Amino acid sequence: MPIKLIGYAQSLPTRRVILTLNELGLSYELEAVTEIHTIKTDDFLANKHAFGKIPVLCDGDFTINESRAICRYLVSKYQKDAKIVLIPDDINKVSLIEQYISYELSYFDPPLTKILLQEVFNKRRGEPIDEAIVKQAREEIEKVLDVYEKILVGKDYLNGEYSLADLFHFPCAHYICTDTQQGDIFDTRPNVKRWLDNLRNRDAYKKTYAE
Amino acid sequence: MTIKVIGFARSTNTLRVISCLNELGIPYQLEPPADFAAIKKDDYLAKKHPFGKIPVLYDGDYKISESRAICRYLVSKYQGKYNNTILIPHDVHEAGLVDQFIFYESFYYEPVVAKIIIHEIVLKTPESEIAKRALKDLDKVLGVYDKLLEGKEYLNGEFSLADLFHYPCAHFIYSSHADLWDKRPNVKKWLNRLRNRDAWKASLEKKNKL
Repeated sequence: MPIKLIGYAQSLPTRRVILTLNELGLSYELEAVTEIHTIKTDDFLANKHAFGKIPVLCDGDFTINESRAICRYLVSKYQKDAKIVLIPDDINKVSLIEQYISYELSYFDPPLTKILLQEVFNKRRGEPIDEAIVKQAREEIEKVLDVYEKILVGKDYLNGEYSLADLFHFPCAHYICTDTQQGDIFDTRPNVKRWLDNLRNRDAYKKTYAE
Repeated sequence: MTIKVIGFARSTNTLRVISCLNELGIPYQLEPPADFAAIKKDDYLAKKHPFGKIPVLYDGDYKISESRAICRYLVSKYQGKYNNTILIPHDVHEAGLVDQFIFYESFYYEPVVAKIIIHEIVLKTPESEIAKRALKDLDKVLGVYDKLLEGKEYLNGEFSLADLFHYPCAHFIYSSHADLWDKRPNVKKWLNRLRNRDAWKASLEKKNKL
């Protein structure tokens, strides 16, 4: 039975899972969610995601949600058959990757999400952009990226070698570049720019974003 | 060499790590910084945590930060070494579900409880709009948790890292909002089990001593 992914191809969390599926060379079926009300039904809440969110992955009888948990599950189960290492075996290396995953959740994603909410989602809904929020979020992410610029000195990827931590960062960063006015925050930092360029040139990323 | 944790015993993030160490029976030393200003100084940012946060854990020369990453490291390295407690199961599917519940904690639970803690305990503005809205949000979240815990003692059936992660935050606001938790029978029983665990009681002793 093929892996089934319930999600929306352009959504950031769904992209995170698709990137991982593509990196691992796994085939899957995307069950596209086009209307929000379908993920808020009692059945969906009881059997797919208690908080009514996508993506949700069904692997045979097994159902799991939350994009980063899904990705880690896919790596745990399928990495040994793949040609790529997203999470290495060495405990010390893995744990630093987990640290960078926590950085992504705690410091990187939140200010970028604030910008996306204003410049992409509010705009789409015909609501005004709150420039004060964009300004504050931009100041916040600039400080975070100054830290990343130092972390990436002499390195192509956060932990030296490519890992799941780098993959997790990409969807949000890429969306800022393609759909907002704030992409220069990455371009003005040479190490961060090199890091993102390395990622977007990977075959799995080209495949994911071509779809 | 003993594990060293830099952090404040009264901080929710540090308590997460202390609980984990206690659950796994790992010996450690807690080294609190002088004060909150100390963790924003250049030396700390350069050597301990570039975002000026606690906790930070040292295991010999190895350093790791971010409480949930630290706990995963401790489980990977020490689970089963000092006692039989399993915080992340070996089965890939069960581990995946524990992970899923850890993200529920990160995204739906902790941000809401953190707002209440900040406004009620740190800023002492319990009547603020943010605190009031957060309490309403928490009410809805606990409604979901009550369903998740139906017929189960813990989120994934057996006690896991996911349950452990939820308790420190709850501890700080439970007494001022007991009705929110207790009106939900499954949540009430779950919290009771968590607060009565020996490892949590030992973590509280640490908090009360320092």
